[in-house]
Amino acid sequence: MHIRLKNLKRDYGQLHAVQDVSLDIPSNTIYGIIGRSGAGKSTLVRLVSMLEKPDAGEVYYDDERVDNLEGKALIEKRRHIGMIFQNFNLFSSRNASENIAYPMEICKMDKAYIKKRVNELLELVGLEGRGDAPISTLSGGQKQRVAIARALACKPDILFCDEATSALDPQTTRSILALIKELQAKMNLTVVMITHQMEVVRDACQRVAVLDSGRIVEEGLVSDIFANPKSEVTNDFLSNLTNVKDSIVRWSNVAGRFTLRFRGGTTDEPVISNVTAETGATFNIRAAGVQEVAGEELGVMVLDIGPDEQHVKAAISLLRKYGVSVEGDL
Amino acid sequence: MDSQMLSQLFEATGETLVMVFFSTLFSLVLGLPIGVLLHITGKEEDGGIIPSAVFNSVLSRIVNVLRSFPFIILLIVLIPLSRLIVGTSIGTKAAIVPLSIAAAPFVARIIESALKEVDPGVIQAAKAMGSTNWQLVYKVLIPEAMPALMSGLTLTIINLIGYSAMAGTIGGGGLGDLAIRYGYQRFRPSYLVGAVIVILIMVEIIQVAGDRIVKRMMAKR
Repeated sequence: MHIRLKNLKRDYGQLHAVQDVSLDIPSNTIYGIIGRSGAGKSTLVRLVSMLEKPDAGEVYYDDERVDNLEGKALIEKRRHIGMIFQNFNLFSSRNASENIAYPMEICKMDKAYIKKRVNELLELVGLEGRGDAPISTLSGGQKQRVAIARALACKPDILFCDEATSALDPQTTRSILALIKELQAKMNLTVVMITHQMEVVRDACQRVAVLDSGRIVEEGLVSDIFANPKSEVTNDFLSNLTNVKDSIVRWSNVAGRFTLRFRGGTTDEPVISNVTAETGATFNIRAAGVQEVAGEELGVMVLDIGPDEQHVKAAISLLRKYGVSVEGDL
Repeated sequence: MDSQMLSQLFEATGETLVMVFFSTLFSLVLGLPIGVLLHITGKEEDGGIIPSAVFNSVLSRIVNVLRSFPFIILLIVLIPLSRLIVGTSIGTKAAIVPLSIAAAPFVARIIESALKEVDPGVIQAAKAMGSTNWQLVYKVLIPEAMPALMSGLTLTIINLIGYSAMAGTIGGGGLGDLAIRYGYQRFRPSYLVGAVIVILIMVEIIQVAGDRIVKRMMAKR
């Protein structure tokens, strides 16, 4: 299902949590919305998922307006979306199976069907035979699997993930993301993933919107944004990512003033040599490697440019002309 | 300790049990909806479902006023009401009326605080799945709060055992009545001691049983 946001606005007193957000979230994709804490992500997801009403603006699912639904129509619409959360929000009074059964129970579905569907779902998320387990006996990853099964029980068109992997360790995060990707393809879901982790966007999303102070500062294909980040916030997210990435080999302890990113198309040329030849700038490479972003390979290089500021400027403008993105303290 | 006293103690214990049982039941009937209303009309970040600040604060005030009435005064004030409902103002049946009414606001607060312990995130999740307000209350809120509600119930019963003893002062029957009429007014301390021991045992049994039930509930979670 295709989601369209039009000039969404939501204030809490003096705080402008979401201001003038317009987005097109295409059908059948995994769409990331990334932002630092306090950027307005949670409010935005509450608006898009009909948990809260915007002060102004509109939300459309396909071509149906949903932000102004009330009463029965609202409840009915909510039954066609799924949502998972950072803290799982499972019912402690119910075991895994009963948690998954809940959304079907409230729709008054047939008991025999519910039972059958619960088993199907347990299998789908890799928890066969764990249906009787009390929630407290499950690990974080298993809890999120139960939550995913519960969210998908009524075969929704949209799955909202509100920081769904933020409470999980890196390995579990990867397995949950892999599961979401698998289910997205299998069920033709539109997945909206709210996160503050660039790894999540890199590993799972096709498109991303970067949110800062309640506004969208950047939006596009994940591979484009990684190769050529335009906003300061995006750069921040990316540089944090560079530092933790293990595919990058570091042969100097000096941090390196600039980070260069090469896309697949540009990496055939001897860019660095060309720049040296043309400008006379010298490069001291501190670290380099390859990152895989949304299925596309991206070369990353951390380096210093010399010998003086004039050469630095010339080198950077030439690098950019070659299509290389340059970040750092200019 | 003579056999006459024993049979009197036995009878009084029965009366106390009847008073406590029915006043617990009626105070739950009155207090449960009030407690649920107090909680669900509260702020959304505290887990409220249909936030209504005005309704919530009015109801809260009423509950506070009722709770601050000293029980002994309530007993006297409610004599006409007892007479209206059960046809008499003395005896065990009559005492159930003020006992239930006195305990109801207490029960309401106990239930409210038990429901407050339910994670608002869980309520939000259930809401996002398309639960009706009624489903949120009876399928999520109350089952999630069950262990806390159970300890609240234990507390209520024990409180009512204490209150029921006071009802003896207006001739309500039961162990309190026995202790006052025989132990105090006729200077027979053995009656006092006997009544206190029986009450002690009752309280102990209720507490232990309540704790066990809560423990068992928690073990299944």
